[in-house]
Amino acid sequence: MSLPHLAYPGLPLGPSSLYIPGPGTHLHTASSTIHASLAGQPILTTPPSKDSKPTISIPRLLPSPTHTPVLSEKVSNVNTLPSVGSVVLGRVTRVRGRGVEVGIAVVYPVGVDWGALAGEGGTVGGGQEGGCVCADEWAAVIRKEDVRATEKEKVVTAEGFRVGDVVRGVVISLGDQSNYYLSTARNELGVIMAKSEAGHTMHPISWNEFRDPVTGLTEGRKVAKPF
Amino acid sequence: MDRRRVNGPPGGTAPPVYLPPGRTAAAPGRTRGPNEIRKIFLKTGLTPSAAGSAYLELETPSINHSNSLLDRTPALKLTCTVHGPRPLPRSSPFSPRLLLSTRVKFAPFAARQRRGYIPDSGERDLAAHLETALRGILIGGRWPKSGVDVIVTVLEGEEDCPRDALATGNQNGRTGGWGMMSILSGCITVASAALTDAGIDCVDIVTGGIAAIVRQPAAPAQLVLDPCPPDHEEIIAACVIGYLQSRDEVTETWAKGNITALSDGKGTTKMGFDTLIDHAVEAAMAARRVLVEALKEGTEAKIQNSQAKPPGRAMGT
Repeated sequence: MSLPHLAYPGLPLGPSSLYIPGPGTHLHTASSTIHASLAGQPILTTPPSKDSKPTISIPRLLPSPTHTPVLSEKVSNVNTLPSVGSVVLGRVTRVRGRGVEVGIAVVYPVGVDWGALAGEGGTVGGGQEGGCVCADEWAAVIRKEDVRATEKEKVVTAEGFRVGDVVRGVVISLGDQSNYYLSTARNELGVIMAKSEAGHTMHPISWNEFRDPVTGLTEGRKVAKPF
Repeated sequence: MDRRRVNGPPGGTAPPVYLPPGRTAAAPGRTRGPNEIRKIFLKTGLTPSAAGSAYLELETPSINHSNSLLDRTPALKLTCTVHGPRPLPRSSPFSPRLLLSTRVKFAPFAARQRRGYIPDSGERDLAAHLETALRGILIGGRWPKSGVDVIVTVLEGEEDCPRDALATGNQNGRTGGWGMMSILSGCITVASAALTDAGIDCVDIVTGGIAAIVRQPAAPAQLVLDPCPPDHEEIIAACVIGYLQSRDEVTETWAKGNITALSDGKGTTKMGFDTLIDHAVEAAMAARRVLVEALKEGTEAKIQNSQAKPPGRAMGT
């Protein structure tokens, strides 16, 4: 059975005895048929082993850019939901003693290949392939104990973050009613872009310091390891 | 000068003076067959600022015997915007599912009788019915901790011919409230199109259908699909449903009127509630064909745009 060129919600795509429902599809248990749940082009993913069944999925489409007042082609008015395990970029909005509040702006899909991103050589501007810019900021918090992996009890949040820093973190939990919980307890996670008190963009010099190139002063941060 | 409010023009205005109603032409009546619905225009993705949007218009029969505005037949024009899924406000409790909120608003110019900016009871009623219809199709578990707002704006939703309203002198007109039902049917279809355009997971597309038992003077009662209230002398009962065709499920029913089993004059067919529902389903199935075509068209345009761009525009969920 061949898949239709275009699917819309409710369109039957195939029996569940032959396929596995992936993202954008769902299983109608009464008829044990896989139906589409998004509008788009269905894709058949061949299984890694011969014993398992192929997966049908429908990738989500962004709104037509002709109708979107885009600043960048990656910016749209559609949100991507952060899920557990996805790497995100966010901006620090508030630093408290018990944790750092962050607004998530970019979400990478779960299982993004960081080795491939390292090849592109960028820490900030480059290496964003696959990242989805959210229309709205999702509130998140990096709790004090999630800032780094070692000496957790000695972490002082004010020495690791400042309001306005751009942070790369990983979602560890959907969190409470308002905040997602992020963690920066890995070498490649932490602050990737920071401005000094004087207002200059700084560059990282060690795992816990950024230096202002103009004034030469250093500031403490939980620095993400550049690729 | 009051700076907090929108001020009127400084010099004052003269109230408009309308011409008195002239001759009243005979009501045109229904020109379609009883099993024929009005033609539907539907297009998705027209509002740039929304995550998903759709516009629906029902065909207005052109009967231009005169150029009088009074002879203008009512039309239905709806626009729907979907915002989200977006983060819930900080004060709201944790929700593992997508929260749906619906709003139906008549534009001030939508009907002869102007409506205020605060939703009145009729608009809130429509919104509640629309929410029931849409809640049944959303796969809410795929969007935890987020909410989606569905806003339908009625651009034109005249229930009555202006002529009829003037003739009876009743503010609600002769058809008193039946028009709300066909507006709901349109709302369901247009909201389903906008939800799909926004890329929110749904089990099916839902379409609205409406059937009614009507009676013309000196004629037996008759079952019609998609009634236009001013076309009929008397509407005995009507029923709107939201129908999912691929699952054969109904998410919303709204019936009104005196639905006792009526004989159609020959004494053979009875017109009860079941018959009414069956006919409403028929109308919904007809609307679905338009919706599917509109969705295909919208998806095709999106795919073409994503192919014109470098890879990475299509995103995984």
